[in-house]
This record gives sequence, C-alpha cells and structure tokens, in this order.
Amino acid sequence: MASAYLTHQQKVMRLYKKSLRHLESWCVFRDKYRFYACMLRARFDENKNEKDMVKATKMLRAGEEEFWANQHPQPYIFPDSPGGTSYERYECYKVPEWVLDYWHPSEKAMYPDYFSKREQWKKLRMQSWDKEVAQLQAETPADGPKTEALPPARKEGDLPPLWWQFVTRPRQHPT
Amino acid sequence: MKLFYACSASTCVVLILLLLLYPVILSFIRSKSPKFEIYYHSVIALGLSFYISMMLLLLSLILPINMTVTILPWTNTDVFDMDISLQFDLYSVMFMPVALYVTWQILEFAYTYMHADPQINRFFKYLLIFMTAMIIFVTANNLLQLFIGWEIMGIMSFLLIGWWHGRADANIAALQAMIYNRVGDIGLIYAMAWFAIIHNSWDIQHIFQLPQNEKINLPLIALIIAATGKSAQFSLHPWLPSAMEGPTPVSALLHSSTMVVAGIFLLVRMNPLMEFNPTILTICLCLGALTTFFSALCALTQNDIKKIVAFSTSSQLGLMMVAIGLNQPDLAFLHICTHAFFKALLFLCSGSFIHSLNGEQDIRKMGGMLYLMPITSSCFTLSILSLMGVPFMTGFFSKDTILEAMSASYVNIWAITLTLMATSFTAVYSLRLIFFVLMGRPRTKPVSTMNEHDPYAIKPLVRLAVASIITGCLLVHYMVPPKMPVITMPPILKLAALIVSLIGFVIALGLAFMANKQLKPKPPSGPHHFSNMLGFFPTIIHRFIPKIILTMAQKIASKMIDQTWLKKTGPKAASNINKPLATTTSNVQRGMIKPYITLFLLTLTIAGILVYFTIF
Repeated sequence: MASAYLTHQQKVMRLYKKSLRHLESWCVFRDKYRFYACMLRARFDENKNEKDMVKATKMLRAGEEEFWANQHPQPYIFPDSPGGTSYERYECYKVPEWVLDYWHPSEKAMYPDYFSKREQWKKLRMQSWDKEVAQLQAETPADGPKTEALPPARKEGDLPPLWWQFVTRPRQHPT
Repeated sequence: MKLFYACSASTCVVLILLLLLYPVILSFIRSKSPKFEIYYHSVIALGLSFYISMMLLLLSLILPINMTVTILPWTNTDVFDMDISLQFDLYSVMFMPVALYVTWQILEFAYTYMHADPQINRFFKYLLIFMTAMIIFVTANNLLQLFIGWEIMGIMSFLLIGWWHGRADANIAALQAMIYNRVGDIGLIYAMAWFAIIHNSWDIQHIFQLPQNEKINLPLIALIIAATGKSAQFSLHPWLPSAMEGPTPVSALLHSSTMVVAGIFLLVRMNPLMEFNPTILTICLCLGALTTFFSALCALTQNDIKKIVAFSTSSQLGLMMVAIGLNQPDLAFLHICTHAFFKALLFLCSGSFIHSLNGEQDIRKMGGMLYLMPITSSCFTLSILSLMGVPFMTGFFSKDTILEAMSASYVNIWAITLTLMATSFTAVYSLRLIFFVLMGRPRTKPVSTMNEHDPYAIKPLVRLAVASIITGCLLVHYMVPPKMPVITMPPILKLAALIVSLIGFVIALGLAFMANKQLKPKPPSGPHHFSNMLGFFPTIIHRFIPKIILTMAQKIASKMIDQTWLKKTGPKAASNINKPLATTTSNVQRGMIKPYITLFLLTLTIAGILVYFTIF
C-alpha cells in the first residue's frame, strides 16, 4: 500500500501496468496478447501530452472505470508472489538465523569457514549498527517513510542500513 | 470351507494393518530416522499389503462368501453388545487392493515430488496412518469402528491439507475442510445415536433388520448429510477445491481417489436400509445430479490445473450419488474403483507438470508439454480419455453404465438432463485441459529444466496408466453384482452418454479454435464470471451470511442491549424517572429564605384548612 499520495503520472502508470496484467490473463496466447497490448499502449500514448489536468483527470477516471468493468476475476499471479500458489510455502521451514549461535561447538566445527566468517560479520555489525540507525533516522521524514526500499550507504566505507538481513537471509526453498 | 475363508480373510486384514503400522511405530521408537527411512519401509509395507489384499480378493472370487468375522468382544452389557468385527463382502474385499495399489504408486511418486521436504518422514507417516484408517473404515462391521476410521481420515486430511502451514491459504483451507467435515460428522453421530437408542445396536447386520418405515427417514437423512460432507456434495462442497492447497500427492490420494469416496461408500454400505425408500433415493438422486452439474460447470472456466481436476472429482462424486439415487449401489461402487485409478493418474500427471514448471499451476502459462514431457503427456491424455468415458477405457465401464441405468429408469427428467449436461461439460473441460496444457507452443518461462529421467516420477504414472486402461474391463468381468443392471434398451438411450460426450467434445473443439482467433480481448463476462467465481457460492456462504450474523450481533449488542435495556428500561430509565423529582426537591432546598418562607406559609395554610374542616 502506498504510504504517500500518488501523482497523476503515478496513477496513470499503475493503471497501465495492471491493465496489461489483466489483459494477459484474458489473452492466453502470446501473439494475441501482444496485439491487444499494442492497442492498449496506443490508447495511452494518444493522450500522453494532455496538458489540461481537468480533462486528464476525467480520462483517468474513465480509464479506471473501464478497467474495473473489464478486470479478470482470476488474474494470473506468479506462484511466488503474494496470493500465488507457492507463496510462503516454505515459510514453515525457516528458522531465525540467530539459531546458528546456539549450535554446539562440535557442529560449528563442521563448517569452519562459514562460522569464522560469521564471527567477522558479527563484529562488523557491532561496529556499524549505530551508523546504520543514525543514517535511517536522518533520512526518514517526520511523517513516515515514503517507500519501503531501504537507502544505500552514503559514505565511503559505510555499510547499507540493515545489511545483516540480506547477508544472513534464510533459504527460500529447502533443497 | 467357511472357517478357512474366515481365518484367511481376518489374518490378511490383520497382517495388512500390522504392515501399514510398522513404519509408523518404527518412527516413534527411533527418534532420529535417516531422511528417507520411512519411505523405504512404507513402500515395502504397501507393496506387501497390496499383494496380501490381492490374495484375499482372489480367494473371495473363488469362494464368493459374504462373511462377518468377530475378532474380540469390545463392550458387552445387558442392553448393548459390541464386538470388534470385520466384514468381508464384495465392497471391502475389492476396495482394499484398489486403494492399496493407488496409494503405493502415489507414495512412490511422492518420493520425487516431496524430495526436498525436510519433514518427508512425517509426510509418509501421515499417509500410512491415513491408509490404516481407510482399511479400518472399509472393513468395519459396526458403526463405531466405521466412525473411528472416518474420523482418523478427517484428521489426517486436515493435517495434510495444512502441510505447508507457513502459508495462510493452506491453514484456511485446512480449517475449512475440518469445519465442513464436522457438519457431515454431526449427521453420522446423529445416525449412530438414533440406532443406539431405537435399535440398541451398532452392528451393521443388525441395523439392516430394522423395519422399513417412515421413522427410518431421519437417520437416513443424517447419513446423507454425512456423505454430503465427506464426499463434497452440493452445499458442503467448497472445501474440496480449497483442499488443493495440500501437496499434489495428498490431493491425488485423499482428495480424489480414496478419502472423498468414503461418504459414497457409507451410503453403498447402508444401501439395504434405503433401497425401498423412494424419498431417500430421490434426495440422493437430486443431490447427485445437482452436484455433478454444478461442479462440471465450475470446472469449465478455472485456470488452476488442480482446481479443474478437483471440480472434476466433485462432479464424478455427484455421478456416484446419482447411482445411489437410482438404487444401483454396485454401479456407484464400480465407479469408486475405476475412478480411483484414472483420477489418481490425472493428479499425478498434473503434479509432474507442476513440479517441472517450478510450482506453476496456471494452465495459461503451460502449453506444448506434449513435446517437452511426452510420457507424462501420454498418461495425462489416457486419464482424461478415461474420465470422459471413451469406450473401452476404465471410466467407460462404470460411467456409461450409470448413465444407461439413469436414462432407462423412471426418474425425473430434471435429474437426467442435469447429469447428461454434466457429462457433456466433462468433455469440454477435458479438452480444454489437453488444449492448454499439452498442445500449442510453450508459454512457460524460457529457462526450462524439465525432463523425464527420474524413474520414480515416471514408473508410477505408467503403472496407473495401464490400470486406467485394463481395470474397468477386469472389474466388470469378475465383479458379480448382487443387483442386475439394465441389459436391454433402445439404441438412442444406449448411445446417449456417448452422444452427449461427443457433442461436448465438438463444442469444446469449436471454442478452442475460436480462442485461437480471439477477436475481442475479453469474452462475454456474465456466464464466465458465474462459472469462474464458482457460482458465487463461497462469496454468499463465507461472506454474506457471516456478515448478516455479525451485523445482527452488532445491532443486538448496541441497539437492543445498550439502548433498549440500559437506556430505556434499565438503570438509565430508573435514573431518568427519578431525576425530575430529585431535581425539584433539591432545587427547593438550596438554603434560600424565600422558598422556605413560602413552604412554611403553604404548610401553615394547608394545616389551617385541615383544622378548619376538622373542627367545623
């Protein structure tokens, strides 16, 4: 869900994208889909330079209504996406990464490279944590974040905020 | 001879139960088993059990004896006797090898399909417990034994649907299955209570001695409710398509070939009670016709391959219910047996496609599988041909006979029309499956890793495909039905089923070529949405009714209790009544001299008037 108001341009682009997705759900065969997708693109392009915002808003509203009337009741969803058939399927097998800290030394000894690297990561985390939090606090607007994407590292030698979550990300699928 | 048969049969069943429970007990004894240990034990146990059950079947074909064997007394009181006893008749003896064979193949397939699963030992253990419950259910000779098998199957179904319990949808589907099945269970418990109170027995042979009158309608309706819940008949059907959240081997075993037929099996078993009861038979017929039609209608426009097969299962269960309604339980049982093979095969082939496409279940993103997976595609086509009732495939022998029996009987035209339309729809969605999954160009992701090199994935399909071709013929040849099916009829009735299937096939072919042209981006949406949204049934039942109840509860809480009771009649009302009096009294007593003098004078005047009238 968007955390901020959308501009007219954003609304039009989102309408275009979801219209394409639903068109793809209706048109199973790729050649037919390409044909109708081009038609759709042409309709959007026809009015892309509209300067009159009242007219543009009315067109957007008409477009939203047309989309609502023509949407697919079962749009195609990628299996791994929310609502897909294998979304969160292996969630039940994931354990938090801190469980590794509780491994028995004999078990840790079986993977010496990984655990020595892990100890280095932990030290690095201790060093960079304050900087990460400070950067996040500095860059987050007072009324909340505008996007879910985390910012990159801004200074030479700094690590990106919450980098630990990416480095120690659990496996998506068991093998 | 009877003694020999009784000893052999009961030994076979006990051996089968022990073999099936051995890997389960082993897993309890050994806390840490190697990854595939239970699998190897399970496959051996199932293989041996199948051969033992085949021995029993051959024995029963040589000595066609219907027999009840009492193993142990259970509870013996003055008024209620119950023994652990087994029933060996055509139904139990024939269904056991069918179920064991199908389970054996599915377990072997699951080795590939669930290979990466960390809890695979537990998965096989659940399947074995389920199979044990199925054997208990099928061979039960009293209602309590039957109920135990019935309930264990329900619990296993719940656990296996929610196998991927990290998924919210899987948990919802598991709960949905549990709740819908509980409605059916209420029916079974009611029937058991009725038989216990009225007849003082749960022994099936004793129950059949009950006089056939109108009083028996109540427990029979309760049994129909039980079958409706378990076999996903119309009104209690939404759990079956939702149950496709479980892994595909589970869908193949529980939700197509074995567990869901338990409801129909119950009615087949209890048929002697209802065979002279036209009311009950009509209810079964209409319920079955409605289920078969509605499910086939829903299957027409679904895009999830497993959902299509699930609706097809529901439709075939409806057809079995129609056979019960026609008073032909043997045909229903025959369809249970034949359906198990081709539907398990259909599910396994679907699972094979899904596995090869990295979890893709949408038929819009398949296509061209015939060239990529030829063996699986051939097996898939064979199972679909069998489902359609193409002559001399397994499905033909049962499906065609049911439709013939229906066309030749004096039942209402409404039920006949619905069933024939459903048969036609079967051809339509079958061809749609072939068209979108097997034919055309691949619409899959460009990087494809699919192959057919794994023997564990291919051998079970081939074995089930062979079974889907020959078992119908074998079953019809060796099964001696206690009730004679219809033998003579006009050619038009004989060919009715084939004609409607052919019409459906031709219509589907026409639609397929129209879909290739696609002159509009979107088809007419009214009928499509009705079918695609499952007749709006889940929306109405799962949303509309709870919404009404919630709104009503909110109104009762806010309007009736808060406003009516608290404000208008209860404490607030008492306060409102007393307030003016209290206000007036307290207003007078504010320590001001004028009201006091006025009151004093008023009291004095009243007292004076009273004294005056008293004296004079």
